[in-house]
Amino acid sequence: MENSRNSNENNIVIDVQDLKIRYRCLNKMSIRKSLLSLKKSKIEIFEAVRGISFQVPKGEIMGIVGKNGSGKSTLLRAIAGVFSPDEGSIDLHGHSVSLLSIGVGFQKKLTGRENIYLSGMLLGFSEEEIDNKIEEIIEFSELGDFINRPVKTYSSGMYSKLAFSITAILETEVILIDEVLSVGDSKFKKKSYKKMQQLITNEDRTVIIVSHNNDTLNKLCNSILWLHEGKIKMQGSPGEVLEAYEEFMS
Amino acid sequence: MKRFIEDFKKHYKYSVYSAKSELKSEIANSHLSWLWWILDPLLFMMVYTFISVIVFRTSEPYFPVFVFIGLSSWKFFEKTVKQSVKLVSSNSSIVSKVYLPKHILIFVKMYANGFKMAVSFILVVIMMFIYRVPLSLNILYIIPIFITLIMFTFGASTIMLHFGVFVEDLSNVINVLLKLVFYMSGIFYSISNRVKEPYGSLLLKLNPMALFLDDLRASMLYCETPHRKLLLFWFLASCLVSAIGIRIIYKYENSYVKVI
Repeated sequence: MENSRNSNENNIVIDVQDLKIRYRCLNKMSIRKSLLSLKKSKIEIFEAVRGISFQVPKGEIMGIVGKNGSGKSTLLRAIAGVFSPDEGSIDLHGHSVSLLSIGVGFQKKLTGRENIYLSGMLLGFSEEEIDNKIEEIIEFSELGDFINRPVKTYSSGMYSKLAFSITAILETEVILIDEVLSVGDSKFKKKSYKKMQQLITNEDRTVIIVSHNNDTLNKLCNSILWLHEGKIKMQGSPGEVLEAYEEFMS
Repeated sequence: MKRFIEDFKKHYKYSVYSAKSELKSEIANSHLSWLWWILDPLLFMMVYTFISVIVFRTSEPYFPVFVFIGLSSWKFFEKTVKQSVKLVSSNSSIVSKVYLPKHILIFVKMYANGFKMAVSFILVVIMMFIYRVPLSLNILYIIPIFITLIMFTFGASTIMLHFGVFVEDLSNVINVLLKLVFYMSGIFYSISNRVKEPYGSLLLKLNPMALFLDDLRASMLYCETPHRKLLLFWFLASCLVSAIGIRIIYKYENSYVKVI
């Protein structure tokens, strides 16, 4: 897939080639079921991502749009390495990556501070690196004293604010964002926009955003990828893709 | 194997921290907090001692310590295996967000449960002083016995983790099975003294948990040497099972996320 801008080899951070991801609907089975039907049950295969190729250059903020079930989240998870592709390849050229999505796995009985360490370590940071950043994270999250209270006492907005702050401050080179930019009150929203824009100016950071909020995408992104039923329908500048997408959806 | 060691090194810090925080969150809201780590085995020891000594009128030398050793090491095994069955689905929020070698989750549980076992064994040592248990050099055998116990637990857990993802009601089966093994391991009776031959020695040969408990007591309380050959056999068998388990997990962990 050709890329309009500076697509020389060294600058590519994410390189997705002919990616296919299938869900085998063998699902869970119970022992009773497997005893009743000793014959091997038919395995239905559902292909969520059907052959996608694209490249993301360094420093780009790319938006992904598409209706529900078009494979957006699956694609993000595959890039984050949660599961490997069934066919094709994803090459991150050794960059660190983090996936941010609603309801990040916090330990509910632990305090926000402890959860920052846990999430940070899961993302592959050392304790010292988190020590250095933790004040910044707490400040950015606006949680104040709540940071020392168990996460289960948080409101859903605070929860997402904390999750966003951890990923935004603990700078991984590639950040994948799944539907979380619309969290928090309007003040925090503005702040996260600002942070995102700051990330844009940082040439080293590459961001992929999945969102249904076209305004947000229009403001933040350099390019948009439109997925439709597991395939790329359109790719290009935010203006033209979003316009076509809105027309399609209405 | 190389990948296993690399993964272990890479996620070691996380697993320790996660185990710590798990322990912390367990006691976070209880009034007696960490006292439960001591109280829990102590109270259970009393229950079983009561049942055996008062109800069934059976006893062994240093009986409370005898029960305590059995109970502490059994709990470690039982809890780790039980938790492994549901491990992937109970950690789905982590597993579906970042890549983590799934057996690291077993390590987390093993550290947490191992810590509790260590606390109980400190109590065992204190009780051995109170009961004036004579000591011999045979007590050093507890080190290889513990290593074997840990390897065996890990091996069993890897297999459980894998099948627990796909078979939904495995946990019910495992619960019953573990209860059965519990009664067959001689937690509150001595297999070699109470079970008729040939069943007694058969049980010791076929049920590794029974063997570990019997040998722990032999070396800690009764100044005897443990069944060294059998222990070595189970150690090798556990290594083999662990290796197979790790291999299976590496091969299929990709599809775990898709199932949950």
